[in-house]
Amino acid sequence: MISKKVILTGSFGVGKTSLFNQFIYSRFSDKYLTTIGVKVNKKVISIEGKELSILLWDIAGEVSQDKVPVSYFLGASGIIYVFDLTRPTTFKNIETDLDYLKGLLPNSSVKIVGNKKDLLSEEEIEEVLKTIGNKCHITTSAKTGENVNELFLELGKELL
Amino acid sequence: MQQGYMNDIEKQTFQDEILLSKLREILLKEDRAALHTVQEVLDDPEKLSNRISPIIEHRLDILKQNFPEEYERIVTGIIEKKIKDSQDDLLDVIYPVLGKMIRKYVNQQFQVLKDNIDGRIANTFSSKSIIGRLRALVFGVRDSELLLSNLDSAVIEEVYVIERDSGILMGSYSRNSTIDKEVIAGMLTAIKSFVEDAFQREREDLELIQYGTYKILIQNFHTYYIAIALGGTLSSSEKAKLSTLILDFAEKELKLGKKHHEGYLDYEISEKLQTYFTAKLST
Repeated sequence: MISKKVILTGSFGVGKTSLFNQFIYSRFSDKYLTTIGVKVNKKVISIEGKELSILLWDIAGEVSQDKVPVSYFLGASGIIYVFDLTRPTTFKNIETDLDYLKGLLPNSSVKIVGNKKDLLSEEEIEEVLKTIGNKCHITTSAKTGENVNELFLELGKELL
Repeated sequence: MQQGYMNDIEKQTFQDEILLSKLREILLKEDRAALHTVQEVLDDPEKLSNRISPIIEHRLDILKQNFPEEYERIVTGIIEKKIKDSQDDLLDVIYPVLGKMIRKYVNQQFQVLKDNIDGRIANTFSSKSIIGRLRALVFGVRDSELLLSNLDSAVIEEVYVIERDSGILMGSYSRNSTIDKEVIAGMLTAIKSFVEDAFQREREDLELIQYGTYKILIQNFHTYYIAIALGGTLSSSEKAKLSTLILDFAEKELKLGKKHHEGYLDYEISEKLQTYFTAKLST
């Protein structure tokens, strides 16, 4: 079996830990508990008959170098950059953050994820996606579980 | 008969040809003989070898003498490129060897220190030291070793070989079943990364995590690290011995290839860990 490190990153409160819990344990909690440092867990998924062990690092808070140890990012094969569809401040730095991450991990696969889609209508989501230049790969809801497994399956295919 | 039908010009031509042929035979006789000799040499491998070998040897001598000047740049270029391309593999090989050398030196110094302590103990006239010395005399061992033997000896509970940056588990050995080993490897790497980044001590790595009598001893290599979870009390000499054991294992048993850096869990490493550490602990 092959194992790959995948990091979940993005601004605070965008739902990284909720996506983590939804993917690993298939559960969601409304209680907001900020992540201290980093949380690591794994899940084995099956892609076209091959098993892939995803070692998921849920990294707290920001992306910037002075707030998160660089070494948390190192060795990652996949990056999931999460933003909150309802909070423009969480997607205003996408370009800068991704440039920084791609500089650290030039060979990794990147997925830009707009989370909390359950809080907006389809039209509103379309508007948000337009404002960020359609860079978003997938919109998810950690609360309902919509597109969460799809996100990891898509990333998993790229990692194999 | 044929000559009877020839006219004068034809007769003259015919005679010229005969004369030319004779002249050719006279002139080329030596050349033909020489050619025959050459042919004989070429057809006989032994003769050919006798003729050619001295020439080749001579050329080789010239090459040997001029090799540094003529090929140094090319060879150096190739070696430099090769080293650059396989830097990680090279460091993986060198790391345990260097580590062992350093460990050996530290052990020697440790031994000197221990001998000094023994000397001081021997010269101290306390009741404790007299009893200690009496016990040492009875058991035939040094005081310091006697003291160490009174402590609970350390027990290796788990051993992990972990990819340094990603925290991906490359192999493991465990006496008892614990929670998911891949998660432990990841979390351990996260803790290690945090400590190393937070305190920003250049070229220094986290080498020990301790809680109560439980310890996680970490030996760092270039692209991976080995973590050993231990129960019981670990003396300095035992720690040194264990470090040597890990370096020895890395040098002899861990021949890491490209696949290890691509996230494959290697069951062979796990088997080797079990065999190696079980055998070492039982002795």
